[in-house]
Amino acid sequence: MPERRVSRPRAVGTDQEARADADNASRPAVGRTGTVRVRLAMTTLLAPRSADTPVQSTLDRGPRRTRRPDAPPRPRISVALHHVSKVYPNGRRALSEVDLVIPEGDFVFLVGPSGAGKSTLIKLLVRDEVPTHGEVFVAGHELSRATGRSIPRLRRQIGIVFQDFRLLPRKTVRENVGFALEVTGTPRGRIGPAVDRVLALVGLTGQADQRPSQLSGGELQRTAIARAMIHDPKLIIADEPTGNLDPLISWEIIQLLLRINEMGTTVLMATHNAEVVTALRKRVVALEDGRIVRDEVGGYHRDY
Amino acid sequence: MIHFLAFSFRRAVEGLWRNRVMSLAATVTMILTLVLLASLVILLSGMQAGLAYIEGKVEIRAELHDGVPQARVEILRSQLEALPEVASVDFVSKEQALADFRAQLTADGREDVSQYVGSNPLPAQLVVKLTDPKEFGSVRTTLEAPAGVVERVVEQQRNVDRLISITSLLRTVGLIIVALVGITVLLIVVNTIRMAVMSRADEIEIMRLVGATDAFVRWPFIFEGLLVGLIGALVTLGLLSLASAPIGQLANAIAGQAPVGFSRQLGSQVAGVVLAAGLGLGGLGAWISVRAYLRR
Ligand SMILES: Nc1ncnc2c1ncn2[C@@H]1O[C@H](COP(=O)(O)OP(=O)(O)O)[C@@H](O)[C@H]1O
Ligand SMILES: [Mg+2]
Repeated sequence: MPERRVSRPRAVGTDQEARADADNASRPAVGRTGTVRVRLAMTTLLAPRSADTPVQSTLDRGPRRTRRPDAPPRPRISVALHHVSKVYPNGRRALSEVDLVIPEGDFVFLVGPSGAGKSTLIKLLVRDEVPTHGEVFVAGHELSRATGRSIPRLRRQIGIVFQDFRLLPRKTVRENVGFALEVTGTPRGRIGPAVDRVLALVGLTGQADQRPSQLSGGELQRTAIARAMIHDPKLIIADEPTGNLDPLISWEIIQLLLRINEMGTTVLMATHNAEVVTALRKRVVALEDGRIVRDEVGGYHRDY
Repeated sequence: MIHFLAFSFRRAVEGLWRNRVMSLAATVTMILTLVLLASLVILLSGMQAGLAYIEGKVEIRAELHDGVPQARVEILRSQLEALPEVASVDFVSKEQALADFRAQLTADGREDVSQYVGSNPLPAQLVVKLTDPKEFGSVRTTLEAPAGVVERVVEQQRNVDRLISITSLLRTVGLIIVALVGITVLLIVVNTIRMAVMSRADEIEIMRLVGATDAFVRWPFIFEGLLVGLIGALVTLGLLSLASAPIGQLANAIAGQAPVGFSRQLGSQVAGVVLAAGLGLGGLGAWISVRAYLRR
């Protein structure tokens, strides 16, 4: 375990020690529920660490992530949902009894027909909504207990990407990305270098001073991903990030997310893109009518 | 903290500029309100000063019958002086009254009509000054008690009463008007900030998603309201200081020798009221708006 952490390079380098400490401190909170432990073991079996797909081989890959058999796997938990149900005020039931554990470092696809509850699940993870029943753990915090100031702090540990990019049209790429630091109280002097770093990560250094109207769809989404990465999050959540993009550009975005995942960030991506899901052979969680109907490695079983 | 204040201020200015038509409307209404408020304060304090001056001069005059023995007058005088509501009692003889009358005519530049009258037509008088001009208690009955001494009691009291009631009516009406205009400006500020919030809806959502605290979301709007109030107050004070000289002259023309108009003390009092009202209305309006439109 430790050697795996150390050997995984992080592009947006922060204090790994501090991060590991925070994880250790937060772990018991998650481990408290028995279900979480059981499902954790399950997901570990379900999610093999290496898969030689054509896509992955094109990436600049880190060291192999296979575990030694004598070292029992104890992945930290990034996201855990325990018996989560969500009923909207209008009575619409969007999620029913959802159990889900995502270990740190995973890349998980969330699939399902429109209206299945994918976006609702994502909203619960960023505490945009609270569950009607059940518990949601992110980075060791139970979200319905998170209050006041701890919610913004928690959101800084999660990077979020949407289908519609959500960029500010009046701001340049640089300003859009820097905005996330500006509004969280970062001194101006430190914003510039941090922005340059994430723009390099997503390959937008050359477009830094353009406005959204001057960018292609792929560049817009890469800007959004750069913004999501600016706080150096442990978890990236993407809600249909390729929904507005043509297939080729979609692949670029997926590859970028895979690279971010390779660097140690957990990625949860809701998508309709069957081709991508099938090709990558990552863990696929399928939602239907607010329930998890499948949770396995592999393809996209239905035409949603 | 400094970063937070700078951020909030920058965004507030940006927001005002972005919705400049609405901001201008809010600021102009704010100025109108504050000018009204300042006028009321000035007018009321002027009337108050005038009233105090006149009240200080209020007295009850009792005109005496001719030929009343001085001894009876002295008895009445000491009875009056014993009353708690009486400050002083002066006796004015017939001759003194005539001399005063002539002096007054000369001062007013009018012809001395008394020279055409053979005998002195003016009565001797007792002039009673009251400790509290509104409290004349048993002065009148005391004056009228002894038969054949006092011919007529002349009160200026009624005029003073009228002035007092005008002042308090003016205060009430003025406060109602200022309150109504104040509510209007409050609603306009609320609406202006609401527009500012709406025009930033996308930004606010992004701010929340990237982990901005509520303070970073809300305070720029409160600052925006405070800025409307501050700008309104400063413009109002500028207008007032331009107008202060003419107002002073006008007040003097109306009130004559009464000490009304702009004193330094009144000036700073008005400045304080205007600034406090401007910032209060602006801040309150913004706060209401932020509370209503930035739930969660
Ligand atoms: N804010 C809301 N209020 C009421 N119902 C909602 C709300 N958001 C989503 N829903 C409903 O919940 C269900 C799940 O929606 P959603 O999570 O957006 O699904 P997906 O992202 O998989 O398409 C849908 O039936 C949708 O109509
Ligand atoms: Mg959705």
